[in-house]
Amino acid sequence: MSDPLLRVDDVYKSYGDEDVLKGISFEMDRGDVEVLVGPSGSGKSTLLRCVNRLTEVDSGDVYLDGECVTAPEADVNALRREVGMVFQDFNLFAHLSALENITLGLKHVRGFDDAKARERGHEHLERVGLAAQAESYPAELSGGQKQRVGIARALAMDPKLMLFDEPTSALDPELVGEVTSVMRELAEEGMTMLVVTHEMGFASEAASRMMFLDDGRLVERGPPEQLFRNPQHERTERFLERITRLHGEIE
Amino acid sequence: MSDGTESVRGADVFGGDRPTRSRAVLLVVLGAFWLWLLARWLVEWTGVPVGVPGEPFVDVALVGGPQTPLGVMVGSLPALAVGVYVTVVLTVVSIALGFVLAVPLSVARVYGAVSSYVSLSFTELIRGTPLIAQLFVLYYGLNLSQYFRGLTSFAGVTVDPALWVAVIGFTINSAAYQAEYIRAAIESVDPRQLVAARSVGLDQLDGIRYVVLPQGLRYAIPGWTNELVYLIKYSSLATFITVTELFTAANDVASETFRYTAMFTVVALFYLLLVLTATTIMSTVEDRVAIPGIGGAEGRP
Repeated sequence: MSDPLLRVDDVYKSYGDEDVLKGISFEMDRGDVEVLVGPSGSGKSTLLRCVNRLTEVDSGDVYLDGECVTAPEADVNALRREVGMVFQDFNLFAHLSALENITLGLKHVRGFDDAKARERGHEHLERVGLAAQAESYPAELSGGQKQRVGIARALAMDPKLMLFDEPTSALDPELVGEVTSVMRELAEEGMTMLVVTHEMGFASEAASRMMFLDDGRLVERGPPEQLFRNPQHERTERFLERITRLHGEIE
Repeated sequence: MSDGTESVRGADVFGGDRPTRSRAVLLVVLGAFWLWLLARWLVEWTGVPVGVPGEPFVDVALVGGPQTPLGVMVGSLPALAVGVYVTVVLTVVSIALGFVLAVPLSVARVYGAVSSYVSLSFTELIRGTPLIAQLFVLYYGLNLSQYFRGLTSFAGVTVDPALWVAVIGFTINSAAYQAEYIRAAIESVDPRQLVAARSVGLDQLDGIRYVVLPQGLRYAIPGWTNELVYLIKYSSLATFITVTELFTAANDVASETFRYTAMFTVVALFYLLLVLTATTIMSTVEDRVAIPGIGGAEGRP
């Protein structure tokens, strides 16, 4: 098991004249929880989307579990089965109940029959503390509840890797805790997670490593305590100082 | 703030239950109309002994004899009921087949590459040319009715093969209009819904099928109902390719009796009742399939 679960190799991406990612390389092992921080527009979301190919890279490669997922012949749907994604604005299927949001992928991607999908759906709703909301529609749920359904939806597919794209940024401050605590549990259970977030409390407590991305480049990477206490770059220091002031103390 | 409370209270004072009451009246009227139609059809085609085929249930003599306007109206009712049958078959079959075509057309239009242009060309061609010209091309130009000589009955009732040419014409025409309504509705679905579907591992087609269309088709219901209402009325153009539908039935009586005003008034009333039936059914469908946060359900009690 020396192979990394995720290997990002010299990834470039630009939109028109704007270079968003300028040669990003890093590796993650199984069970790693990596928090990705950086100023707005630094390319964090784009990097995440390159991993499950919601965005195509211009050059460079992404390997998941030893397989090159950026190869033209790679099966993008098979890849996404292995990589769960949680969105900033939840993106729950608006016409489906909380339970059906989870069972849709199980039935039509995993090939579960209805009964088995529902059973698994209920298990995952229970896991995120929403057993009672199974029949509620997204419009009837609070932001925090929606995001927990979003996590359950991704998790039920039994992914090898979970991507979180600012999962708490659209939430009222008092609802952030219910989402980060679910994420913390997930980290403790050994899920491999790549998380874009400004919740420094979560980062310092749950992350095995942090990455600081600025202007499309990976400026600094290391254990959270190192980036917080002893940053090697001035840009990292300034950014983390600012973000910590805004988004909670380091425990 | 105070505006909101005021208007709510206002609604209560000025008969908050009025919509339900008028709806009940409507349902009674429509119920009577359809019961009468059903009885008429049974008499005409199965000889159920509640009346004589071709004779109204009411004695024409009671309304002033067969020559008076009212007498002509009453006397024409059996023929009109048969005409309604043809109009209903024509409308229902055409709108249903048109829908089957419209969904892939609209999906192709929104998500297709080459197929988007094919769909657009079809829609513009059909919407840009007169329906009557389309019917004439199909009936007189291509002489399509020759292929339907064997199809002279529908659900046990004798029909003119020309009816099926009309069905083809209206299906094609309605598909173009329905596709436009559905395209607009699909485009109003948040594109991130499809991104989310793809992120779970659904391919593009499954994402459209299981996520985009169930939402888009709900948004499409009001516009689609509009198309249904139009189709009921413009199905009367089938008269020009010899289909004896509702309008033809009325027109035939009118030209025999010269009671044009009376006949066109009664046929207008028939169309009105058919349209009200359609809108009542569709508003029920809209309520039935409503989901909190999607389309029509928003802001409804």
